[in-house]
Amino acid sequence: MTDTDANTAEVSLCPVLDLQAAEPLRAELMALRGRPLQVDASQVSRLGGLCLQVLLSARISWAEDGLPLRIEQASDGFLEQLAAFGGPEINFEPEGAHL
Amino acid sequence: MDPFESIKATFFQECDELLTDMESGLLAMEQGDDDSETINAVFRAVHSVKGGAGAFGLEELIRFAHVFETVLDEMRSGRLPLTDEVAKVLLRASDVLADHVAAARSGGGVDEGRTVGMIADLQALIDQDRAAELGLNDHGGADAPDEDFGFVPVLLSLDEPAAEAPEVDIAALMAASAEPSAGVDPAPDAAPSWMVTFRPRAEMYAKANESALVLRELARLGEVEVSLDTGAVPPLDQLSAEMAYLTWTIRLAGDKSEAEIREVFEFVEDDCDLTVVRDGETAAAEGAETSTDDDASASAVEAAAAAPLDLDALLARVSAPAPALESAPPAAPAPAAAAAPAPAPAPASLDVAGLIALAEKASQDHAQAQTAPPKADPKADQKEKAEARAGSGAATAATPTIRVDLDRVDRLINAVGELVIQQAMLSQRVFESGLARSSDVALGLEDLELLTREIQDSVMAIRAQPVKSVFQRMPRLVREVADMVGKKVRLVMDGENTEVDKTVIERLADPITHMLRNAIDHGLETPEEREAGGKGVEGTVRLAALHRGGRIVIEVQDDGRGINRPRVRGIAVTKGLIAEDAVLSDDEIDNLIFLPGFSTADVVSDISGRGVGMDVVKRSIQALGGRISITSEPGKGSKFSMSLPLTLAVLDGMVVSAADQTLVAPLSNIVESLTPRAEDVHLIGGRDAVICIRDTFVPLIDVGVALGFRDTPLPPASGVAVLVESEGGGKAALLVEAIQGQRQVVIKSLEANYQHIHGVAAATILGDGRVALILDVDALVTTSRRKAPRIEKRMAV
Repeated sequence: MTDTDANTAEVSLCPVLDLQAAEPLRAELMALRGRPLQVDASQVSRLGGLCLQVLLSARISWAEDGLPLRIEQASDGFLEQLAAFGGPEINFEPEGAHL
Repeated sequence: MDPFESIKATFFQECDELLTDMESGLLAMEQGDDDSETINAVFRAVHSVKGGAGAFGLEELIRFAHVFETVLDEMRSGRLPLTDEVAKVLLRASDVLADHVAAARSGGGVDEGRTVGMIADLQALIDQDRAAELGLNDHGGADAPDEDFGFVPVLLSLDEPAAEAPEVDIAALMAASAEPSAGVDPAPDAAPSWMVTFRPRAEMYAKANESALVLRELARLGEVEVSLDTGAVPPLDQLSAEMAYLTWTIRLAGDKSEAEIREVFEFVEDDCDLTVVRDGETAAAEGAETSTDDDASASAVEAAAAAPLDLDALLARVSAPAPALESAPPAAPAPAAAAAPAPAPAPASLDVAGLIALAEKASQDHAQAQTAPPKADPKADQKEKAEARAGSGAATAATPTIRVDLDRVDRLINAVGELVIQQAMLSQRVFESGLARSSDVALGLEDLELLTREIQDSVMAIRAQPVKSVFQRMPRLVREVADMVGKKVRLVMDGENTEVDKTVIERLADPITHMLRNAIDHGLETPEEREAGGKGVEGTVRLAALHRGGRIVIEVQDDGRGINRPRVRGIAVTKGLIAEDAVLSDDEIDNLIFLPGFSTADVVSDISGRGVGMDVVKRSIQALGGRISITSEPGKGSKFSMSLPLTLAVLDGMVVSAADQTLVAPLSNIVESLTPRAEDVHLIGGRDAVICIRDTFVPLIDVGVALGFRDTPLPPASGVAVLVESEGGGKAALLVEAIQGQRQVVIKSLEANYQHIHGVAAATILGDGRVALILDVDALVTTSRRKAPRIEKRMAV
């Protein structure tokens, strides 16, 4: 983590990432496309399959754009659930990334 | 309401229905019905309860339901024959299950000892080896909840020669573009692990099921290694948030049976693609497995609907011949397969071995094509169809129903109640305005009244339910009680379909339970006594429901010894309830048992003497606007009758006035009205009036005095006598000042709004907006009849 330039978008995940949170999350992330992204996962207590998909999908999009996507301050709940899901990688660092 | 809470509430509503279904099925089984459909229905009910509980993480409920269900599954598959003993245990288990559901709903606890005992009883039904195989023995652990699903790690012997020929990494095969399934080695071992692929479909999420929960449940079964295939996830701009793109491959270590694994997915099975195969063993596609594995057919009905994968399995089977893998022997220790030897040839499950990949590929192609026709193995398909038919048969034959919140119905009923009041007020205003009875307005009002009544009846019918729901709990109770006291009892039930308001039904269970217990414990003799008395060894208890005079009457009758009147009387005297020299009729002596503080049992027994006397029963029935009476014949038995209003909402009444108060006498009690002549009225003992009506003397009750509105009695000749009959058949004449007319009134509970008043059943609001009390005729009549002994007592003391 270096200089978080002004361009970096930040988003804070809501505590319950369930069925109902998926579409809002998708929309929220879509709106931030084209900018490096920091995702604050400190509040997350529940992570469901649909929201996991959104995050994974975001990773793909950010990778396509060659922009970094980072999960920050992930809560224990978030990490545990991610591990239970098989521990997929959500962070994306472009080659020689500089954020 | 929080959506999650509302889903949960729906689950519990469904539980009620499922438990009822389960009980009906079990009762049929108790009667010897060992039809597979019946057993299936019970299994499905328990299974669905468990599945739902899984979604909400109701651990204790799941745990118990699991054991219960496993036993049922054994029956279903014909490994456990239905005997009297088994039926008994199952019925008791259903009781415990209901307790668990109730506890889960209320957030309370359950009787742990009872649960453990029940689990032990259930296990005892199954052969011990079989139980171990099913992983049931873990559940015997008394108070180690976490151990129940606990998994004991198995040492993996990597050196052991591979019994499994194929070095096929199924995980890799199945997960087309899987993220590296690191560590997912098909390590051959003594207790081979399972490979589970789980691909949720959009519907699964849409039904508020969550893959996270499913995975968590799976992890309870043993050590898991989860790998996630994210290959299908599109970029954000192409992603639909509600679609499902992920596939999990889980390697589950341990000796769990396939059935146990599949159970984790039962609730989502319709809405996901699932394969469960032995790691390292020859793989089998879903469709083939369904036909060969009894356990897998557990939810054949659901499976019948599972489209794409079944199609894929079929495709796979048709399109590819069995590869070389066919020769591979199945993994040596495969408990589930071994225990459930499938009649279908083994090759059926073998020939698809290498084809899982094909199947999976096809599955992917069809992943979005949810409309694929549900075709699988023909045999399985047939079976499934049969089950589906049977399962849906009842549903299609039955009238369509909807589930409505009781609150909404209550609101409607209240509104209709207000409508009735308003309509009465309007009628009264019109009447007071001096309009002719034949005027259009008056005629229109009459029509309105009819219509109002029709609406009211219809609305009340919405809440009416047959008493069956309460009655069907009783056979089990009777058996249990009979066992406990060592008596032989046959329960005969009548009028189960008698309908009564739901609010009444809910409160019937306790009094009926108590009366039945009482009948068996106190009423019936022991088999020896019966034999000595020239009766059959088996006693009969009859439970009946019927409509009478706009009320529902519940009768509990036994053919036992009847009430021992001298003894009852003796106890009443000893306890100071009556004076030693009180003169009581047989009927009055019988009814002494309802007095507070009266218990005939010398030794308080576990059964009926729980410190709750018949007086409590009586009070709870009175609180419902009901009454209870007993008739008894020594040596022949006793009959308890309780009568309750059909509804707690409206009543037809006669509006009368007494001591400047407007009162309502329930029409159902009224026999006739007359103007008393002074010469017909006599005073007994100088104060208690009786009236002679057609040569019969009945007590004349001055309502104004009885209710304490005034102290001086009304001169009989200046009032009107309303002859009423109480539920117990006792008659009396109520002396009032005038009769205003007949009217339908809406009952407003006094207990709910104020408190119980003796002699007053409820209150209502009249057309002119005034509150009028509704007379409790029975209470008034009984008081007048009981007055004599009581006075004696007071004088004697």
